[in-house]
Amino acid sequence: MSISRFQMISLCRKEWRVVMDTPLGYVMAIAFLSMCGFFFESNLFLLGQADMRAWFSILSLLLMFFIPAMAMRMLADEKRSGTFELLATMPITTMTIVLGKYLALCLQILALLVLTLLYPLTLSWLGNLDVGQVLASYLAAVLLASSYAAVCLYASAVTRYEVVAYVFGFIMLLLSFLFFKAMPTFSHAVQDWLVLLSPLSHYQSMLRGLIRLSDVMFFIAMNGLFLTLTWFELERRRWR
Amino acid sequence: MIQADKLSRLYGEKYAVRDLSFHINHGEVMGLLGPNGAGKSTTMKMLTCFLPPSSGTATVDGIDVQQDLDVRRRVGYLPEHAPSYSDLSVQEHLLFMGRMYGVPEATLKDKIHEMAGACGLEGRLSQRIDELSKGYRQRVGLAASMLHNPDCLILDEPTTGLDPNQMVEIRQLIRRLGEKKTVLLSSHILSEVDAVCDRMMIIDSGELRGMGTRDELIALSSVGLVLDVCMRGDADAVVVQICRQYKGCEVDRLGLEEGVVKLAFRHSDMTIPLAEAVFAAVVAVGGVLLEMHAQETSLEDVFHRLTGSDA
Repeated sequence: MSISRFQMISLCRKEWRVVMDTPLGYVMAIAFLSMCGFFFESNLFLLGQADMRAWFSILSLLLMFFIPAMAMRMLADEKRSGTFELLATMPITTMTIVLGKYLALCLQILALLVLTLLYPLTLSWLGNLDVGQVLASYLAAVLLASSYAAVCLYASAVTRYEVVAYVFGFIMLLLSFLFFKAMPTFSHAVQDWLVLLSPLSHYQSMLRGLIRLSDVMFFIAMNGLFLTLTWFELERRRWR
Repeated sequence: MIQADKLSRLYGEKYAVRDLSFHINHGEVMGLLGPNGAGKSTTMKMLTCFLPPSSGTATVDGIDVQQDLDVRRRVGYLPEHAPSYSDLSVQEHLLFMGRMYGVPEATLKDKIHEMAGACGLEGRLSQRIDELSKGYRQRVGLAASMLHNPDCLILDEPTTGLDPNQMVEIRQLIRRLGEKKTVLLSSHILSEVDAVCDRMMIIDSGELRGMGTRDELIALSSVGLVLDVCMRGDADAVVVQICRQYKGCEVDRLGLEEGVVKLAFRHSDMTIPLAEAVFAAVVAVGGVLLEMHAQETSLEDVFHRLTGSDA
């Protein structure tokens, strides 16, 4: 399965261009940063501490709402408008298409996360911020967001309709959140499995400032699984 | 050159294309005709590697369509409805398409201007595609399909949505391209295929019904010689004489008005001098020949007979 880096970057550039040229990207960025700012400011004045753990917990929820919205048009729109036929007859592999789209989505999310760096910078100016913990938390946020991006890209691959892609992606993320929250109600054996399989438990673990290989590997595996499922979904037309 | 040998594609248990064999030479424009659902687009999708064949083989410039990346580099494809990225400008769309097909960055802008000129898109390059008319979007699709200078062009209904002037321009363009490339185009417009294509093939229910030049197809599907005659006098005597002279000749009486008889003589052999015989017979019975003409088989008739439907 060869992957052409140049074509993958070209596809990524095209996606970036579309986001920059349409109001969608700006609306999404303004809404996301407004929500982030609101929760950051609330926590700051409630707790009165130079600490971002509460904000990072809420960030996982915000990502659950925003990433399906950012990913929904990625492949669904290509299928609906017929441009997928253009893409699929170009001299590139299906995996190049999947990775190009995934890279574009990750870069968009990363750009939004970079803009939130203003908050830790403000906190470090106001008080004594644990920089190591914040950096580990940002790494956790990037890994969680990239996994959510892979899940939502798959949701966008299974349908031609953007709204359906959003709802499907959101439901998958919501289920993982609900299982995580309902963990104490399950038996110990089930809890052990949920801790192992829940992205949020690995995320929370990293928010403590501890970067464990098992957590990082979990997110990489989750990315790999959903990108493979997306590839499979796009290739499925050939086997019908 | 494009070659297909017993090419078939199944959707579930139903054949969309079945045992389709043909070849298109370099420098030839082949038209693909057929009613809706005949399998035209599926055939094109297999040749452009969008769908693999269920059985049979197809090659583009000698390369099997199973080796899809090598084939895709050699093919320029305009899908039905000419999809394009409507959020981008024409230039951005063409830049993207060129890069994806590996057109060198150094020559890409020149190539875009060349194709824009050929497709009448000068002055539209900075316009967003969603602001363009359907005809111009079709041109954008056509320009994009030719950007990487492919050896083969596969065009699915390239003139849909164009006004008559644009149609003429695009047909001329395809005709010019067809001198140097292998072109396969599908269309519902029979006059278009007639004007642009060197040869054509007609498919129905996924199966090949006929292939050849216009004249070959007409000969293939022709019911033979049909002569319409309008005369005054003893028509029965004329009919008896012609039927005695040419065995197998059929006659339809089309009407009788104020002593004028309309007849239609049919014979499977197109080479017999039926018109001369009818003229001589009318004169022999002392009648007056008012009108006589041979019916010509049109491409519409051929399409109708081979597919059992109208275009």
